[in-house]
Amino acid sequence: MLEFRSRFFSGMPQCFRYLLVLALAIFCGCDQKAATRQPGAGESKPLVIGVSLMNLASEFIAMINQSMEAEAKQLGVKLIVNDAQRSPERQVQQVESFIAQKVDAIILNPCEVEASSPAVTKALAARIPIINVNSETRVPPTAFVGSRDEESARLAMDYIARRLEGKGNVLMMQGFLGQAAQIKRDQGAREVLKTQPGLKLLADQSAEWDRAKAISLMENWIQAHGNNINAVFAQNDEMGLGAVLALEQARRKDKVVVVSVDAISDALQAVKAGRLDATVFQDAKGQGSTAVQTAVKIVRGQPWQTQVFIPFQLITKENVGEHLK
Amino acid sequence: MPPAPAHSTPAKSTRAWNHWFARFGLAFALLVVGATLALLQPQFLTAANLLNVARQISINGILAVGVTYVLLTGGVDLSLGSLVALTGVVAATFAHPGDWPVIVPITVGVLCGAACGAVNGLVITQGRIAPFIVTLGMMTAARGLALVVSHGRPVSNLSEPFVALGGNVAGFPVQILVLLAIAGVSGLFLANTRPGRYLYAVGGNEEASRAAGLNVPAIKTFAYTVSGALAGLAGVLLAARITTGQPNAGVAYELDAIAAAVIGGTSLSGGVGGIAGTLLGALLMGVINNGLDLLNVSSYYQQIIKGVIIIGAVWLDRRQRN
Repeated sequence: MLEFRSRFFSGMPQCFRYLLVLALAIFCGCDQKAATRQPGAGESKPLVIGVSLMNLASEFIAMINQSMEAEAKQLGVKLIVNDAQRSPERQVQQVESFIAQKVDAIILNPCEVEASSPAVTKALAARIPIINVNSETRVPPTAFVGSRDEESARLAMDYIARRLEGKGNVLMMQGFLGQAAQIKRDQGAREVLKTQPGLKLLADQSAEWDRAKAISLMENWIQAHGNNINAVFAQNDEMGLGAVLALEQARRKDKVVVVSVDAISDALQAVKAGRLDATVFQDAKGQGSTAVQTAVKIVRGQPWQTQVFIPFQLITKENVGEHLK
Repeated sequence: MPPAPAHSTPAKSTRAWNHWFARFGLAFALLVVGATLALLQPQFLTAANLLNVARQISINGILAVGVTYVLLTGGVDLSLGSLVALTGVVAATFAHPGDWPVIVPITVGVLCGAACGAVNGLVITQGRIAPFIVTLGMMTAARGLALVVSHGRPVSNLSEPFVALGGNVAGFPVQILVLLAIAGVSGLFLANTRPGRYLYAVGGNEEASRAAGLNVPAIKTFAYTVSGALAGLAGVLLAARITTGQPNAGVAYELDAIAAAVIGGTSLSGGVGGIAGTLLGALLMGVINNGLDLLNVSSYYQQIIKGVIIIGAVWLDRRQRN
């Protein structure tokens, strides 16, 4: 054997020899790691959860991430966090690499209903529990932790109806067309409009969740509809704040009610200052920590729920203090 | 205008028409679109709305002027949108109330953009790598850097004087005045100065320029640096307008800027074009955007209409030139 090996080695250039040795070493290393992960020895090792997030550049997703990290620390669980940067394809690749790493569970914050579904299918096929947080996929995961997006829009529209006493003209700023949140918030808002014959939807356009685009859109709407505008519902706070900026610049904010969704910190400040009329609090912290708890329960074989809905809450000037910390 | 001679041959009048169209075609198209919108929606032609349009095109206009420098040399700059985000975030971190006088965040933002542009130019010329690849790399890296600098969160709580950059001066939005100044200086520089003409020469025929003794790498690097610096300025103005530095702002802005320049007659293969056309291109895009919102055309159809107009404008332009 030794002789064979030396002859084998001498037949190739120096660098290849090193490469081969290196490859062997890595191979053995992996093997050892896999061996220690056998059940029984597993109790001493911390659980490893792979996390693929839609987009860490979004403040809301970053908040979910923070609360997951905090919860994981408390439970003594190790998280591997990847950012899919809005690309469902990258997300599927990340889940594939989690599967290859043999993580104990996967938490998925899906980029897209359809396109992120293969990630769920692959994890389930590899018998690794997968928990969707915040958004849905078409393929049902092991568990879902999030909120019903329709409900947020319903809360916002109900508030507008109350403020206008059931009568007036409303504009709606849509999110990125075709995304789950946009579709559901649109649906929720229209459900309320159906029950409120006095409320008229003057126009609805997409400002793609973006504050700069929302300013331009609002400026254009002020030109087109002027004094007829009574309220604006923006499907996220960034756009709501854009609408507020444009209305303030046109000195019309006092005549128009603006409500948006997400309760990001800028929006809370604006509600406190009386610039934004209301926002809807989606509990990022609750979603993040519950997702980690659910994952740990599943892996440890404790009882868990397949669907956990974290409720929304309307925030106006009256109760904004509780959320500003 | 003297009447055309009755015996002029059809070929001759076609050529005259072509010549006229090549010079004023875009302005004519703008007029037609504007008149149509004014008929359909009287609100379009009000002073307040036209001021809106001007304000809405100014960020894209500044980027388009910058990218025109690069396009003239035969290059391309895909990093603009990410640079807008990066420089906006960097400027915002220097713009908290009581931190620094407002000139500091502005300068830092512009210098940061210029530095990234210079890196683009140096890597392209010294590393001999295609501009498409280098600026694509910068697009990704600058976006990452913006997220690192801001910890992935919008940088808010900006000082009054900084936010005022997004407001008005003597009734005129600051950003429009900036765009006009930038466009004026760039127009004069490119058309009337020797270094300005060098940019055309390099884009028109790089080999000949080199043989004529021009320092081609320096000229190209200069173009990318200007483009980066103007992206920095746009980033500062955008942050002021939206009252935050947003790490995810400016996605795909580079494409709008390139579209404006190309609609305005600047050639993607270099050597042809100018600032006046670029401004008209940006204006046409802005007017269409504004008009479709005023008419409440569905967001789905808006995207189709804009795409068709971009291709149509360039097609008309090419047809006339041939």
